Amino acid sequence: MGKVSISLIVNGRSCQIDVEPRWTLLETVREELRLTGTKEGCGTGDCGACSMIVDGKLITSCCMLAPQADGSDVTTIEGLLSNGDLHPVQRAFIETGGVQCGFCTPGMILATKALLDRTPKPTLDDVREGLAGNLCRCTGYTKIYEAVRAASNRES
Amino acid sequence: MRTFDFHAPTALSEALELLDRGDRSRPLAGGTDLVVQMKEAATKFTYPPSVISLLRVPELQGIEFDQSSGLRIGATTTMADLADSAEVQEHYAAIAEGAAVVGSVQTMNMATLGGNLCNAAPSADTAPPLLAHDAEVVITGPDGQRSLPTYEFLVGPGETALAPNELLVEVRVPTPADRSGAAYVRHTPRHQMDIAVVGVAVFMTLSDGDRIENVRIALGAVAPTPIRATNAEATLKGQLATEDSFANAAKTAAAECNPISDIRGSVEFRRHLAETMTKRMLQRAANRAKGG
Amino acid sequence: MAQETKTHDSVGKSEYTAVGKPTVRIEGIAKVTGQTKYADDLTFPHMLHAKILGSAHAHARIKSVDTSAARQHPGVEAVIAAADLPDYKMNPSNRRGVIFAVDEVLFEGQPIAAVLASDPHVAEEALALIEVEYELLTAVIDPITAMEDGSPLVRSAISDVDRSEEKGHVTIDVEQDEAEGAPSNIASKINFSRGDIDAGFAEADCVVEHTWRSAMVHQSYIEPHATVADFDNSGELSVWTSTQAPFYVRDELRQTLGIPENKIRVTATEVGGGFGGKIFLTELITAALAISVKRPVKYIMSRKEDMLAATPAPFAQVELKTGMKADGTLVALKAKLIYDSGAFPGAPVMPGCLFVGGYYTCPNLQIEGYEILTNKVSVGALRAPGAHNATHAIESHMDIMAHELGLDPLEVRMKNAVEEGDPLPSGQPYPRIGLKDCLQAISESDVWKGRRDAAGQANRGVGLAIGGWIGGLQPASAIVGLNSDGTIDVTVGSADISGTNTSFQQIAAEVLNLPLSSVNVTTGDTKTAPYAGMSAGSKTTYTVGKAVKLAAEDAKRQMLDIAAQRFEASPEELSVADGKVRLDGDDEKILTFERLGKMTTNFGARFAPVVGRGTMSTRKSAPGFSAQAAEVEIDPDTGAITVLGYAIVQDAGFAINPLSVEGQMQGGASQGLGIALSEEMEFDEEGRLLNANLLDYRLPTTRDLPPIEAIIVEVPSEDGPYGARMIGEPSIVPGGATIANAVADAIGVRVTEIPITPERVLRALGKL
Repeated sequence: MGKVSISLIVNGRSCQIDVEPRWTLLETVREELRLTGTKEGCGTGDCGACSMIVDGKLITSCCMLAPQADGSDVTTIEGLLSNGDLHPVQRAFIETGGVQCGFCTPGMILATKALLDRTPKPTLDDVREGLAGNLCRCTGYTKIYEAVRAASNRES
Repeated sequence: MRTFDFHAPTALSEALELLDRGDRSRPLAGGTDLVVQMKEAATKFTYPPSVISLLRVPELQGIEFDQSSGLRIGATTTMADLADSAEVQEHYAAIAEGAAVVGSVQTMNMATLGGNLCNAAPSADTAPPLLAHDAEVVITGPDGQRSLPTYEFLVGPGETALAPNELLVEVRVPTPADRSGAAYVRHTPRHQMDIAVVGVAVFMTLSDGDRIENVRIALGAVAPTPIRATNAEATLKGQLATEDSFANAAKTAAAECNPISDIRGSVEFRRHLAETMTKRMLQRAANRAKGG
Repeated sequence: MAQETKTHDSVGKSEYTAVGKPTVRIEGIAKVTGQTKYADDLTFPHMLHAKILGSAHAHARIKSVDTSAARQHPGVEAVIAAADLPDYKMNPSNRRGVIFAVDEVLFEGQPIAAVLASDPHVAEEALALIEVEYELLTAVIDPITAMEDGSPLVRSAISDVDRSEEKGHVTIDVEQDEAEGAPSNIASKINFSRGDIDAGFAEADCVVEHTWRSAMVHQSYIEPHATVADFDNSGELSVWTSTQAPFYVRDELRQTLGIPENKIRVTATEVGGGFGGKIFLTELITAALAISVKRPVKYIMSRKEDMLAATPAPFAQVELKTGMKADGTLVALKAKLIYDSGAFPGAPVMPGCLFVGGYYTCPNLQIEGYEILTNKVSVGALRAPGAHNATHAIESHMDIMAHELGLDPLEVRMKNAVEEGDPLPSGQPYPRIGLKDCLQAISESDVWKGRRDAAGQANRGVGLAIGGWIGGLQPASAIVGLNSDGTIDVTVGSADISGTNTSFQQIAAEVLNLPLSSVNVTTGDTKTAPYAGMSAGSKTTYTVGKAVKLAAEDAKRQMLDIAAQRFEASPEELSVADGKVRLDGDDEKILTFERLGKMTTNFGARFAPVVGRGTMSTRKSAPGFSAQAAEVEIDPDTGAITVLGYAIVQDAGFAINPLSVEGQMQGGASQGLGIALSEEMEFDEEGRLLNANLLDYRLPTTRDLPPIEAIIVEVPSEDGPYGARMIGEPSIVPGGATIANAVADAIGVRVTEIPITPERVLRALGKL
């Protein structure tokens, strides 16, 4: 058996891709679909930079083999714009200074979206719990906490 | 990674057939352990010719509870589902607490109970709670189904009692008696995201007079496998649930540990933590048993 | 919810329209939508992926390298070992002078060979087929024993040590003695002294003596090292790389590969975190591989490789003895600092020696520093290299002495803190600085003000510490051009690792009195951008910002000259506002920037294009200081430390972008907290790194860090644009000491090592 054919929806579009079983969902999205917004920071599920939302759940795509995403609904950072408008979470991150080097940002924004989808008005503890799987080395997290608060206020 | 084949069976019988080919193919659930191990391909790791994804096998899914038969947890239940289950939180608090600390939101959405048990790390966070709740694992293979206490399933670091052509199907946990309480805690260097340095689970049933009718103390990351501190348990049977009896039991439990020194902690540190945490979990389980 | 970041009253002066205002990142939208291209996001036709084989041992002789099986592996395009490399100027004394190890490997993970394939998985498979025969040699791991006479040697003798990279981080004239004489593992020594040390201690009422240790730590940028290189038939080398220093990269490539600078183009791709660790590392290997195959080659370090074989910050041991009089005057300071440089020289022993004795006036000083080689990966810069190790020691002593003498820890510091004119241990006087202002401001932070409440609760404590950095200096230049539609393009050669391009946008907009949206800023590549030094040493705003200001002023002058000619007036009668040049007092005589743009670019235009040029060099640094305070709670039975609150003050001189300055402060403080609480690279006796991953190398997560209160203080620098001084580095320096002092306040015992882990707390309490 060489490649496996998988069908999935990525950011609302149906895709059919032939993948090698050893490809992760992360590298498939980056290399085959050329959606390079999602990043690899560690390859072992420890930093969260590769976070995507698959079937409504936040996951680390570097640990998911591409064939396991067959039949799934995948959202990456590129899927957050709607009609060219920034998602409230994206806007909040820019406005509060929650973005510095930007490498953790796509994963962090998706983790924030997943958090707010579950808990629209999170407490600071909820935020710190929800984002614990996303490492940032630049901000010290303070402005990210502010970004999440701003986004949750805006979405109401 | 090296090349391998991928299978996604949609029935347990299909999965077992694939496994029975005897070519050292590996079952795959969440991937948080196996995929990482395949990427790192350390010297002791035998590369599988194929992986068999279990996520579409219906017989491995679901959480069910009823008062008479207890709890059934399908092997591919995610940590998130386990931690979020109202019934597990209510009746099996230690299991919910173990599942809730396995890792980040992402890890919890992917990691499964079966994966955590079959990876058989001495520090696995679901293991001490299952031991404390007297859980059994249900295994199936070409020769049929069998059950084992969790304690006998976890045989050594990275080793289980599974034959190469067998699968872990589900975990069954008996219904706790009235006036029972359970708790799990672990110590990690950071506040999240780490492997447990020590993990302690306690299950306790109290009589109406607050005597300890039943107690089980399980410790993780202090021996090659998670262990029951049976000597410590023996000191508590029939005793009143007091701080002194807990302190004494905790000392005994610490002595029953056989930890190693590694980059996560020294022998002395682990023993000390085992004592501190056992005392705390005894107290917490007792409070919960009393309805607190 | 999150504490509001508080800023000093003077921040956001209303006299300015653009600078001094919180401004969103110029590249923010691209980053939050995932459109920013980092090096690994680039692909080129015919590109090959490189995987590198690193040494399996910390110290060994290479007897043979057999690549034949690897070459045969299907899909492999090339396998390149030392013998297959193009000619290059090898200098074994320097990390940067060795592409693949020849004869001797000096640290685990040192590159030995590369496999190139179009499929990175294939390249990785083939790596396992390369057979290396090693003869094991003694691995020298502990720097303290490595210093002793008779210790086995880390390597064959070195000479020609090149310290050019370090000067980019801290530029100060100090002589460092390179090792001479009998071969040893001591790579260099340095000494500072002042006064009479024995007389000083004789005067002291309180003498404190301890040994302090700080672990080797890793910058842990979330983006691992990443480079793409290409070499064409005309001999032109192109490099796209995650670097803070594109011109330095070009210079190093020229020196080592012998290609003239005008045949090298280095593009600094967006850097996913640098912190001093992304200066020059993967560019050399990748360029050499591209030259070997004359095709684009991409080399991305895995996280494990980056931890094993990049350039972490050193372990240091500081033996410190300090003496203070009963009235709080510091009278004597004697220090011996030992830095573990790893297998190649380059440890920041000099800044460490400067800072251990550089924060406080002290008439009697004796400081000696040693740089020691070991068979571990060689070190590089991490945000204020060398400073946090020394600060941990001196700032702990200030608290210990204050406590012994019954004095307030903040007042003791205020009493002795250096001011303008006070000498560094090297003798140079400080220019204008804001250390005392930082101390004043930290006393007003919520954390420090709450310390009485903390004192009332068991196992809770508050601590404070200060730290600073002198900074690097390098010449800089910038271009400000007027486009034909009246918009402005600023071109610089500095990599934007901390939001500096946004600050440049603000500066140009301020000078030209334009809305921000009319000004764009680009970091050009080394062929198209004017020269700038490394974005390191916290000097980018200070030097390149100055050049941008000068270039914008030059562009403005050119526009005024053109308008003056058109209006037949003199430039002094003109003013610039809202994108227009006006003749004062005449509403008819207006020229928009767009008009000027057309007048200087159209067919048959009478006037030359407006190209503003700014260049600068300075020998005057603008040191920056920070004061920090922490409230912690300790679990006395497990040793677990919870940081309940944290505050950071920093003197920014003038915060061109307060939003960005706060972010830098909070980020640097968080790295200091990681260093203080959980980060440590751990090696076994054979020199193997035991935690080469982000699970067991523990970076702080959101669960570890509360919101950090950031307070900006402004003591203007003499030379910086609008009085700005260095920003990026001072914030990381005090964290270790701040936590050490807070922990001591909470539980009454001292932990003398950082990171202060739960196990170390329990040991200090005597519980293990």
